[in-house]
Amino acid sequence: MLGKLIKHEWKGTYKTGCLFLIALLSVTFLSWLAFQSPMWRSLAEENAYESGLFSLLDIASAFTLFFYAIMLAVVSVGIMVYLAVHFYKTMYTDEGYLTHTLPVSTNQLMVSKILISGIWVMIVMIAVFLSLFALINFLVGAATPEGYSLIEIWSMFFDEFGDVLVKLLREELGINPVVYLVFFILNILVSPFASMAIIFGAISMGQLFTKHRVLMAIVSYFGLIIINGILASVTEGIISAVHINVDSAEMFGRYMNINLSASSILSIVMAVAMYLVSYLVNTKKLNME
Amino acid sequence: MNELVEIVGLTKSYDARNVAVNNITLTLPKGKIIGLLGPNGSGKTTLIKMMNGLLTPDQGSIKIKGQYVGVDTKAHVAYLPDRTYLSGGQKISQILDYFSDFYADFSKEKALEMLHSLNIDPSVKLKTLSKGNKEKVQLILVMSRQADLYILDEPIAGVDPAARDYILRTIINNYNPDATVIISTHLIGDIEQVLDEVIFMRYGHLVLYTSVDNIREQHGKSVDAYFREVFAC
Repeated sequence: MLGKLIKHEWKGTYKTGCLFLIALLSVTFLSWLAFQSPMWRSLAEENAYESGLFSLLDIASAFTLFFYAIMLAVVSVGIMVYLAVHFYKTMYTDEGYLTHTLPVSTNQLMVSKILISGIWVMIVMIAVFLSLFALINFLVGAATPEGYSLIEIWSMFFDEFGDVLVKLLREELGINPVVYLVFFILNILVSPFASMAIIFGAISMGQLFTKHRVLMAIVSYFGLIIINGILASVTEGIISAVHINVDSAEMFGRYMNINLSASSILSIVMAVAMYLVSYLVNTKKLNME
Repeated sequence: MNELVEIVGLTKSYDARNVAVNNITLTLPKGKIIGLLGPNGSGKTTLIKMMNGLLTPDQGSIKIKGQYVGVDTKAHVAYLPDRTYLSGGQKISQILDYFSDFYADFSKEKALEMLHSLNIDPSVKLKTLSKGNKEKVQLILVMSRQADLYILDEPIAGVDPAARDYILRTIINNYNPDATVIISTHLIGDIEQVLDEVIFMRYGHLVLYTSVDNIREQHGKSVDAYFREVFAC
């Protein structure tokens, strides 16, 4: 039954999910167009913009890039809001009457929903990274002098600064780039699922109230965010106290190392706790209006 | 073992002053069509929701086919709620696939046959249908299952008399004779002819559970007339 639930959950979300990706692709294309304006093109030329005047195209370019930044935030947050609404709709409104009368267990239901939602958040997150990477390349491309290719520029950059960067991370900040990268990737893999489990838990907590269930779900979510913030601050405080004698650069490095692993662990613990909340609400306290 | 549903000491309250179902104990047999009757607010829908696992009882228990309400009982109960529980954006054919995937006792052929007899095209989206046709589609989905227990909450409310006749015909012609059908309604006159037994509820209490023949023999009245007498304001 889990396989069937996953299949139908995917079918129920892929159209809107694809709309988010299309929106992202469209604004990324717009950002490429924006970098074609004379202002950006002039970066590759000497003595450009001596007059100091901007053309209308340059102003349009600035607005387009501003719009791009806004859309990036809208897409990143929007996919999570959409998945939260989808969860609420299929679990706790009229459609929930069908969901909760299917011969499936609460665990199967929750796993299918967290899995598909997490996958969508991850897809959008990767798409946002790729879009930003493309944006940097558009910028570098605009500033690349004639006769050079993008690849040449990047290899020159790493030849020049690669060693310095690794040295800075390793020796000055005490960060092992490989370990940091592994944790970073792990965080990317886990955080989408953990975030959705926490959001779904907050929505389920809202069901414990007889009235204003949506409002209470939102209040619960922000309550959880505040608790998470407090725990993160406590962790930071402990790190600062332990490394009081270390110089500030090294402390920052250690903080970065510990903060990443601590925030990953914190979100996993909270996700597990909120999964249990959803499970208990659906098995012991379900009260469909 | 002729018992299909065993309800013991079932109580549910929404707040301190509002006890929707009050200490109901009831055993329902197999192979009957049972009317769950009572005025608005008598606790019919609350009782039905608890039988389907949509509400958690405060006290008491419900067993269906000897098992407490859960995954196993949901595989044997076909439930028609008093609202549209399908997503309007889905095509009817997609909804049929959904039911085929989750309910082992669902017959897609039977559903397609019934849709065809009503001239409803399975390739259209549910939201394009009229209110009456949406209700008919939901009923077709429910009655295309070979369930042990059919629970129909207000299946004839809000539709025209012709549609009522169709709905009642569909129920009678499609239910498994070994199964029990519970029909909740306050439109007693329309369904009286199909009922074997009736449950009267008032203010969350079980007032009466008896056969239709018994009411006619003992009181010399139709169920509708007797209901009006019992629930006279």
